Amino acid sequence: MKGRIKAHPILEFKREKRVKFYFEDREIEAYEGETVAAALHAAGIRVLRYTSHRNRPAGLFCAIGKCSSCLMKINGVPNVRSCMTKVSDGMKVRRQKEKGDVL
Amino acid sequence: MKFYETIVIGSGPAGMVGATILGQHGVKTLLLDENDFIGGQLVKQTHKFFGDHAHYASLRGFEIAQKLQDGISSNSNVEVENAATVMGIYPNNTVTYIQNGKKCKAYGKKLLITTGAMEKQLPFVNSDLPGVYGAGAIQTLMNEYGIMPGSRFMIIGSGNIGLILAYQLIQAGAKVRAIVEALGKIGGYAVHANKIKRLGVPILLNHTIVKAIGDKSVSGAVIAEIDDKFKPITGTERELVVDTIAISVGLTPLTELSEQAGCKVEFIPELGGYVPIRNERMKTTNPDVFIAGDLASIEEATTAMIEGKIASLEMVQELTGKDLEKEIENEITILALFRSGPKSVKIRSGLEKMGIKNLAISKPRINEPKEDIVGKLRAVLECDEEIPCNSCEVSCPFGAIYIGENLNSTPVLDPDKCTGCGTCVNACPGLAIFMLKEDVENRMALVGIPYELLPLPVKGQKMWAMNKNGDYVCDVTVERVVKYPNKTHLVYAKIPIEFSQSVRHFSFIKKESPIICRCEEVTLDEIENTIDSGITDFEELKRLTRVTMGPCGGKNCKLVVLGILSRKTGVSISNLSQGTSRPPVKPVEFSAFLKCGDDK
Amino acid sequence: MISNASVVIIGGGIIGTSIAFNLAKLGVKDISVFEKSYISSGSTGRCGGGIRQQWTSPMNVRLAMRSVELFRRFREDIGMDIEYHEGGYLLLAYSDEEMGEFESNVKMQNQEGLSVQLVSPGEIKEKFPFMNLERVVGGTWCPSDSHANPQIANIAYAIAIKRMGVDLNTHTAVDGIDIQNGEIVGVQTDKGYVKTNTVINAAGGFSHEVGLMANMDIPTHSERHQILVTESINHVLEPMVISFKKNYYVRQTMHGSFVMGQSDKKPAQGNDLGHSVEFLEEMAPKMVHDFPFMTHLHIVRQWSGAYNISPDAQPIIDTAESISRYIFAVGFSGHGFMLAPAAGEAVAEMVVYGRSKTMDVSNLNMRRFKRQIKSEKNVV
Repeated sequence: MKGRIKAHPILEFKREKRVKFYFEDREIEAYEGETVAAALHAAGIRVLRYTSHRNRPAGLFCAIGKCSSCLMKINGVPNVRSCMTKVSDGMKVRRQKEKGDVL
Repeated sequence: MKFYETIVIGSGPAGMVGATILGQHGVKTLLLDENDFIGGQLVKQTHKFFGDHAHYASLRGFEIAQKLQDGISSNSNVEVENAATVMGIYPNNTVTYIQNGKKCKAYGKKLLITTGAMEKQLPFVNSDLPGVYGAGAIQTLMNEYGIMPGSRFMIIGSGNIGLILAYQLIQAGAKVRAIVEALGKIGGYAVHANKIKRLGVPILLNHTIVKAIGDKSVSGAVIAEIDDKFKPITGTERELVVDTIAISVGLTPLTELSEQAGCKVEFIPELGGYVPIRNERMKTTNPDVFIAGDLASIEEATTAMIEGKIASLEMVQELTGKDLEKEIENEITILALFRSGPKSVKIRSGLEKMGIKNLAISKPRINEPKEDIVGKLRAVLECDEEIPCNSCEVSCPFGAIYIGENLNSTPVLDPDKCTGCGTCVNACPGLAIFMLKEDVENRMALVGIPYELLPLPVKGQKMWAMNKNGDYVCDVTVERVVKYPNKTHLVYAKIPIEFSQSVRHFSFIKKESPIICRCEEVTLDEIENTIDSGITDFEELKRLTRVTMGPCGGKNCKLVVLGILSRKTGVSISNLSQGTSRPPVKPVEFSAFLKCGDDK
Repeated sequence: MISNASVVIIGGGIIGTSIAFNLAKLGVKDISVFEKSYISSGSTGRCGGGIRQQWTSPMNVRLAMRSVELFRRFREDIGMDIEYHEGGYLLLAYSDEEMGEFESNVKMQNQEGLSVQLVSPGEIKEKFPFMNLERVVGGTWCPSDSHANPQIANIAYAIAIKRMGVDLNTHTAVDGIDIQNGEIVGVQTDKGYVKTNTVINAAGGFSHEVGLMANMDIPTHSERHQILVTESINHVLEPMVISFKKNYYVRQTMHGSFVMGQSDKKPAQGNDLGHSVEFLEEMAPKMVHDFPFMTHLHIVRQWSGAYNISPDAQPIIDTAESISRYIFAVGFSGHGFMLAPAAGEAVAEMVVYGRSKTMDVSNLNMRRFKRQIKSEKNVV
């Protein structure tokens, strides 16, 4: 049952425009309006980074931009909250390792 | 910098109502929200809300959000800025926010802060693993984006959010293996708990999670019973195979912005943790700053909306000099009525700590039931807890349901007036009303059950009837399906009359056969196969399969087994022999018979 | 809290705890320290953590050089790792005039035995290719300048002095100093009275107020300096970089975050520890200009602390003329953390021997303000 919900007794999900982005160089299809974290979950990806201190896998936790669990490297910028960032065509998303590089 | 009369920060129920009222009174208002929509967490709520009709009871959260959004977009005095993250409140009511990667500044003569709350953490081993989420995160993924983060879930915490999440997960097609609750009783409303119990979700009281298991992502959880000091009891650990763990152990207010705005904050655990000190009219220790909603105290959308109303009316009054005293006092009374039930004890004592007196108003009561009329199609109300909701009373076109002055009082049905129309079943947010009509002569009963799952059963479909705990009771054939626009549909089927008070859910027939006798672990298949092989006498069936022969003495399954036998043989249950009852009714130790306790 | 103290130190910041540490090391018993809040609650815990030896006044250079010696031994002497890192200090010049001043400073600093050199934009670019050096005409580079975590350093001192038997009282405010016939007889706190004949004013931002308790009008005042910290990222920037012209300092902590600040045009006076949005508005463009990689770096917090400023922006370390055994170590003008090890050593020696032995600090006396004031220039 993982992934996009196809039928729901109460809700209807508007999925109109498709976008393609890259996760670790792998092409992933998503829908406009989805956040990076949501789109990765739809593709079955839950490990979003490895922590800098203990090198532990970390993923989404609050989904509303209040914690720092889902930080990823997006279009070269580290420490971006993937739960608050919408996917866009051609976006390059990487799992963040360590603290992230700015150079 | 832009200048406004008021700035509202946060567009949840409290902020939306506040901004609407400010705008209606001609006050130039800026409404800021971090998301690219307004509505806050309401938009993720698929369940119908409790409350009264003035506050949108019986509507689903996202529908309430839509109504409130409409009220704001049609209001020319309210300017909305979405995707606007307030990053700080600086001296002189200067609200600084980031939008499109750019800093913006706005000044408001008065501020209404409705920043809401966030989830409390629960530390356990591996709680940082991917696959462990706050309950709200799962709601966001599932209800906002239509994405399921896993297939088999465990939920920690049985407050309303945990219970609602379990129901929403099942609606979206996931399996919920268990809810664990550290306390000895369910935290949320009984009606919410009943909704998921009958779908077969166990609520394990006095249990906690010991650790999450998994290498890169959750693949299981170890749970254990806990003692009265909340320490896991050694030897009671067991493993649940789940891929997702949801934490829902409560919310705590997001006070940072109110602190920066100069509001004094105090720790009042009854209200959710650190909360801004405020008066009855939601004014903080900074006379220019008002608050409402979960920031003020962790409660519900309804109370948030009323608080938003009170705060904004008082702000209008102070800014414009209009006399709104009557309206404000009226809202304060409505709020007090909401909070007068037993579920609001904590909130009331928290408010008292802050120096806010609770109004003396009519107390909620358990209303006396009226005499039943067996054989008439009528509603059965299973709402025995005093919660603030009167949607059934309001929805009934015939005045057959009575609650009274205080909406926390329990509803009673007047079977004389009830026409069996089913409107209340459809309206009840707790899905706690059922339809029933007995056919005494044929020893059958027609039962109607509210249904919000997919697929929707169709007439003639063979299903399993399940009891309040989600256990198999008997097979049924669907008689009728009544569809409603609000998507709470009604499914009717006939069952043996003996089960009229126990069948509360219809489940699709599953491949795996349900356990009928828990003590001896006998499945439906085994019982049916034995009957099919010619064993049609209950006593024989019992001896062969061992059903009803375990330590419980058949208390749990005897009636169900008789039902199966009745369905298979066409003999009504009342005409079947149910065997002889013999002592001991409950297991007794030998040692009890070694000494005589008659002589004191 | 003891009832009889040989020395009472008012202030549990880096200066007060360093003095207590050095006193205890010299064998002084019954030392009381009073801190009205928690350890590192004042200027120490709010500062940037830089340790600079490149000053324009020889006395500041000497004090800082001695402090660096002591910071290098901090872990052995005091027992904790304080994230001390010799990443150097790079000071930037934007005009020939400024470069000329740097040249004479370097000359003086070299004479004091400090290894500092002038660097060209090309040399800077080679060391730090990620910097935008537009309009920079040169700079100075001192590799032994360093930085450390001021909060941990303060707490490390506090732990050490408790271990050494110092009576350290946090959340205890001094209400008055009891003076009879020009002699100190005791100190009144909000938790009780302690008898003593020696008081050291190490009250940082509140040095003036504590001076008034002994009827002394110490010429210090406090002013608010704002500061911010970013998220942490992998290490990029080794040194502390200062631009006096553009008015900023910045360093990357060992944890990976960047700490930076400036002097506000009109700093709030007194101990107002609020914050302004203008600070961020002013900092952001210049930092991104000089360090383009910061464009997408996230600011995670802003705050402020008080600089306790003296008329010449150099510390005042002296004994009162009118009251015997009233010593003050105040007016560090935003540089108390980096000078604390040496200042604490000097003050302790003044108490025990009547004068500072290791390093002569007598020219930091109060009398200097009666002459012409020659101010330390290189302050952010």
